[in-house]
Amino acid sequence: MVNLTINSKEIEVPEGTTVLRAAEKAGVFIPTLCDHPQLTPYGGCRLCIVEVKGFRVPIAACTLPASQGMVVETETPALKKSRQMILSLLFSERNHFCPFCQVSGGDCDLQNAAYREEMTSWPMQPNWTNFPVDTTHKYFILDNNRCILCRRCVRACAEMSGNFTLAIEERGAKSMIVADCNVPLGESSCISCGSCVQSCPTGALIDRQSAYLGHDESMVETRSVCTNCSVGCGIKVITRNNHVVRIEGDWDAPVNNGTLCKEGRFIPLSDDRKRITTPMVRKNGKLEPATWDVAMESVVEHLKPLAGKEHDGVAALVSTRLPVETMAAFKGLFSGGFKSDQVTSLEEGFPTATSAALAENNGAPIEGKLDMLRNADCVLVIGANLYDRHEVAGFLIKRSLPKGIQLIVIDPKENGFDDIAHYALKATTDTDVDVLRAIEAVIVKEGLGRTAAPIMDADAVLADALKKTGLAAKDILGAAHTLASAIAPVLIYGKGLTASGNSESLEVLLRLARLIGAVDSERIGVISVKGEANSLAASQLRLDKQFKMNGHKAVYVALGEGTPSKRMAERLGKAPYLVVQASYVSELTEKADVVLPGANWAEQEGHFLNLDGRLQKTNKSIEAPDGVRENTAVLADLANRVGVILSDGWKEALVERPSITALNVN
Amino acid sequence: MKFARSMVLVSNDPESLRRGAQQVYDRFAKEIAAHGLGEEVALSQISDAGRFDTLPMVIIYPEAAAYGPVTENDVARIVEEHLYKGRLVEDLLAPVRELSGRIGWLKMRKGAMPAEKRIVLRRAGRIDPESIEDYIAEEGFAALAKALTELSPAQVIDVLEKSGLQGRGGAGFPAGRKWRFVAGTAGPKKYVVCNADESEPGTFKDRVILEGDPYAIVEALTIAAYSVGADEGFIYVRGEYQLAQHRLEHAIEQAHAYGLLGKNIMGTNFSLELHVHSGAGAYVCGEETALLESIEGKRGEPRARPPYPTTHGLWGKPTLVNNVETLANVPPILVNGAEWYRQFGTPSSPGTKTYTILGNVNFTGLIEVPMGITLREIINIYGHGMKDDATFKMAQTGGSSGSIIPASLQDTPMDFESFRKAGVSLGSGALLVCDERTCVVDLAKVLLNFFRTECCGKCTPCRVGTERSYLVFDQISKGQANLEDLDTLLKLAEQLEQVSNCGLGQTAAVPVRDTLKYFRAEVEAHIRLGVCPTGVCHLTRESAPAHSMA
Repeated sequence: MVNLTINSKEIEVPEGTTVLRAAEKAGVFIPTLCDHPQLTPYGGCRLCIVEVKGFRVPIAACTLPASQGMVVETETPALKKSRQMILSLLFSERNHFCPFCQVSGGDCDLQNAAYREEMTSWPMQPNWTNFPVDTTHKYFILDNNRCILCRRCVRACAEMSGNFTLAIEERGAKSMIVADCNVPLGESSCISCGSCVQSCPTGALIDRQSAYLGHDESMVETRSVCTNCSVGCGIKVITRNNHVVRIEGDWDAPVNNGTLCKEGRFIPLSDDRKRITTPMVRKNGKLEPATWDVAMESVVEHLKPLAGKEHDGVAALVSTRLPVETMAAFKGLFSGGFKSDQVTSLEEGFPTATSAALAENNGAPIEGKLDMLRNADCVLVIGANLYDRHEVAGFLIKRSLPKGIQLIVIDPKENGFDDIAHYALKATTDTDVDVLRAIEAVIVKEGLGRTAAPIMDADAVLADALKKTGLAAKDILGAAHTLASAIAPVLIYGKGLTASGNSESLEVLLRLARLIGAVDSERIGVISVKGEANSLAASQLRLDKQFKMNGHKAVYVALGEGTPSKRMAERLGKAPYLVVQASYVSELTEKADVVLPGANWAEQEGHFLNLDGRLQKTNKSIEAPDGVRENTAVLADLANRVGVILSDGWKEALVERPSITALNVN
Repeated sequence: MKFARSMVLVSNDPESLRRGAQQVYDRFAKEIAAHGLGEEVALSQISDAGRFDTLPMVIIYPEAAAYGPVTENDVARIVEEHLYKGRLVEDLLAPVRELSGRIGWLKMRKGAMPAEKRIVLRRAGRIDPESIEDYIAEEGFAALAKALTELSPAQVIDVLEKSGLQGRGGAGFPAGRKWRFVAGTAGPKKYVVCNADESEPGTFKDRVILEGDPYAIVEALTIAAYSVGADEGFIYVRGEYQLAQHRLEHAIEQAHAYGLLGKNIMGTNFSLELHVHSGAGAYVCGEETALLESIEGKRGEPRARPPYPTTHGLWGKPTLVNNVETLANVPPILVNGAEWYRQFGTPSSPGTKTYTILGNVNFTGLIEVPMGITLREIINIYGHGMKDDATFKMAQTGGSSGSIIPASLQDTPMDFESFRKAGVSLGSGALLVCDERTCVVDLAKVLLNFFRTECCGKCTPCRVGTERSYLVFDQISKGQANLEDLDTLLKLAEQLEQVSNCGLGQTAAVPVRDTLKYFRAEVEAHIRLGVCPTGVCHLTRESAPAHSMA
């Protein structure tokens, strides 16, 4: 700890803390532009200059480490003069005519800083140079004329999403933000995560969907959790007049610290599917709008006689994008009430069942936490494409590449990580397990393991695996050496490894993990990315078996806001009687006998268990349209009508089963 | 080592090479051998001979005859006529009346200058820079041997501290103290870096050392690494210095072969790997933290300091960064001792300093003189007086980032302390001498144009301040400014000096401030009278101020 004085306030901070953070802690406000708590300090804008006793000139607080006995002043007349001058220089440098800017009036850090310095004008004439405006991107616009070159976007691109698309071109006053080697953003390597837009302090990067829809002060902000995948990123839902205007990453969320991907930030806002706003009942072969009462009674009429019929009653499937509460009610209703033997999730346990069974046999978790990626020095990804799904988990790896993290990708198909991986092992399809065996054999053969090696004829295993996988021996050797020499390796797998239901691949992976020291008494360096947002909860509630129609006479699907696959729609469409509880019109709702409209992610609250066992709550940010009910309420109503009593002990139900990874449900 | 009567230099900058300089060089080698002149004539290459239109250029000493452009077919005639028969080949002479200052140093190889004392340049031009044996014969690696076998790392630093050697990159920080800082840091991994990104306009002292005595840098870096506990080092060489890079790489290769680099140097358990890293043309990469960023493969932008490279340098590890000239002083100090070194220069600034003399003097070139010599002496003795007997007006030191020295300060001893007291800076060692025909507004404009172009763009005061200051001087030079603009200039200069992130921005204020401090009347004449007293600026009053700052 070091002690320092800021504006006569004494404060103690841990060693390595910057003066800026120390000042925050002491309650002293220092204006900044290029600083952002989640980004590496840069020291570019110079607005945070402070006077330090013993220093010849003022110095930027954002990059200055606090040291013992430091005496800092932040509000001297000279500093104020300098800050005004810096702001004048910035305002005059490019087109900063506030009245024409969408962030003007409270949302612009530059304008706010100027008001704080009591400036209502700047003494220099603007410098009339025109810079390009890049409007080629689908989701946002880059206007270099409003840029103050703080590089927050450049740093966000590198440090948050690890994509390294944005950079600075040219030098001095000609400096300009460019994508890749100055290609239009829309044609660049940008993956539309939007971290840059969220980081921009001015109107240089503006979100097309929310631009000019109002100032932040006229918006309502609701903290919630993204339900688009199992990573469970914290989000802030920005709404106005019951409309979602924008989604931002929650800087304070422990999972993502503000980072989001395209799926979480932009896509929900451009959802053009048709909303279901009233219950519908099939009459004379046609779905027709009905009241809730009529629709529910129709359901009761068909389902009630099937209660208690284990094999020929009601089969039920629930979406893993629905909250735990909904899933628990669903299970209570159909397993407990109707006694059906076919109550499962729409994922049918593909991403989790094998792992869960293994964990259950083990009696202990087999997976660790996402946080391990922050300190990992080597990551192996198998059976998952983190470029397409669970992207933020991928960001945690990508952003560490400059720190020297080694990346090995095993995927027979094209994988977004192929280009950045040190080893992208393209084996013959369905030989993933043989690739793992080959790596294991090399480590055993060369005695590189950290723990006692399994007994095997390493040469034979290697030769056999090489033949099956069709890989070059040098790639296997390289990957094996890289893994074996890592100090903190992490192995990530996706459903590609376990979907077959055969646990052998996973067993080999876990054996390899122990061999290289990824798993030991202190850490479990293995994680699976699972499936949808509540994949793990479905597993905990045992809603994870493969669906079979058997002799069931009716099917109830709580589809939530998902769109079923064609195959699923065909399978379920054959049911003699089909009830679909959903938010949007889909192929499946078209085939249903009764459609019950349910709220979507923004309109209901509930809990989600993310891929590493963190229980998080989503909040309601807007009201559902008239006629639409929350999903749990629909199930509760149905239970009530058929005389089933639902327990509200969903949390207890969640922890009953030994879990794949240690749960944090408090 | 041989003493040649003639020396043939063939230019080998990229443009020359494109035009066939290598073939010219090869042909010279062949023809010289064919004429049996191998023992008498030395053949070597130089980079950047100075004139674009005459490339590839061939310069032959001691006559200092410059031929160019020379083609392969001209070589036989030059060898036959000039080297064999001793006659100039008039029709091939380059259309230059005298040689560019940038190669003039070779004229003085004989050490004919009065008080000149050569320490860092003592071998340049005398040994074959591609022969490690030449170097060893001239006291080479004696200092390293002494350090490794007789002295502990701490003792080496003691000697260096006692010698009083100061950094020759411009700031004059005591070298020994810097070494001690790095030596005092913990950690198994440390780096030593030689800053050879000499990019100050008109400064080429480092180039001459690197090209003429590359082993000295290899040896000095090895001593430095031994003293501070580093096992890896980089020599960051300006991109244009291709010959220097080649010679350094060659020197490193040879040192490896002789067991003077690599594992277990001289049979001790000290090991070091050196790498040559080429710059890519950014002036700001001469700033040590930007240089480190550049080596790391990032955009060359200066870091925030503190923390300093001595604790958080290359890849976050403690790093010693020294300028070429500083390092070149180290081996002779170790061999001869601190006391020997202190007999040169002044008590506060011991040793010698190299200067490149440029501008309106009769002789331009590179000299190495003891610290404490005055500007007047340099101009009169080494510069052979002002050109056309014009009156001295000012000198600009240290490339762009130095100070403007008015006539009133020309008797100030040129050492770090005296200059600091006088409020000016010694800079990197370029001396641009200007006579009364030079316009200060024009000079300031040129300097600021350089800064605004070379500013990395990271920090606001420098990025906008240099641009704005340039625009004001541009307006003054066109007669479009008003007196309030001078206040703006001073305000800009103050912020540049106070708030900029690195030395580039801080020194960009110097020409602004110095111009207004020493030559305000001349600047005001542009504004008040609409006249450029020297007649350099073309004032056009008719157009209204387009970019008035006030």
